[in-house]
Amino acid sequence: MSWLSTMLRPRPGTPMDCRQVAQLLQHYLDGEVDADRARRIAAHLDDCRHCGLEAETYERIKAALAASQSPLPEDAVDRLREFGEELVRGDPTTP
Amino acid sequence: MVLLDASSIGVGPRVGVRMPDRPPAHDAFERHVLPEIEVLLRVARSLTRNHAEAEDLVQDTLVRAFRAIDRFDGRHPRAWLLTILRNAHINRNRRRRPELLRDPDLALERLESTASGDRAESSVDDAIDSEILRAVAALDEPFRRVLELVDVDGLTYAEAAEVLGIPIGTVMSRLHRARARIRDRLDRAGIAPRRSG
Repeated sequence: MSWLSTMLRPRPGTPMDCRQVAQLLQHYLDGEVDADRARRIAAHLDDCRHCGLEAETYERIKAALAASQSPLPEDAVDRLREFGEELVRGDPTTP
Repeated sequence: MVLLDASSIGVGPRVGVRMPDRPPAHDAFERHVLPEIEVLLRVARSLTRNHAEAEDLVQDTLVRAFRAIDRFDGRHPRAWLLTILRNAHINRNRRRRPELLRDPDLALERLESTASGDRAESSVDDAIDSEILRAVAALDEPFRRVLELVDVDGLTYAEAAEVLGIPIGTVMSRLHRARARIRDRLDRAGIAPRRSG
């Protein structure tokens, strides 16, 4: 992400404006920005209603998708774990 | 010979029990691969949209990983495994008809069936979630796939890039465009958080 770093890196400690936050907002919500940027984006979102609502919308989308994840079938996980362990044991029935 | 702590292998209080040699690769497989089975199964489910196929795909991945573990340097095991899974998926798909691979209706059904589960939410919240899931189902496959890997399966951008075999910048742009389309749909439906303008 060097291009992103170069294009969008405000000087440390300087406040971010709406344009900079808009460009980094999704990275921030995905946990893909460094601590300094995260701190400054969070500060901007606290103060800016426009960006705060934008963040709220994207958080809502992420939450709806995360909640749509159906649980893994336990028997499938158990079978695969057993399969992996048999590979290690050198069970003759495994490929 | 490897000297094991007897208590760790359940043979009582005797200590210093000597066990037959185990190849280091077996230890590496147990340490790096087995803990990732659940992640692999989630991703395989997103790729195949079918439980049985997903399990078969992970089984293929485990076999390939086992055969290659000697050459694995121990760094970033999840990324390494996701690459193996992707290649296994590509190989399996070569033997299938492409129209069997994509079923947006099935994806929507899965998303809706779980979204409407036992969560007790207001009707407004339900309406927003339903609209979001419909918007996801309406996305083109490349966009929906990235969104599912990151937001449903919880992969990082780099991990999603590994699974899909695309640059991380493409993951980001697809992800952002997908979410922007969903947000626009919420706006049009009048159920997005209102902006002050």
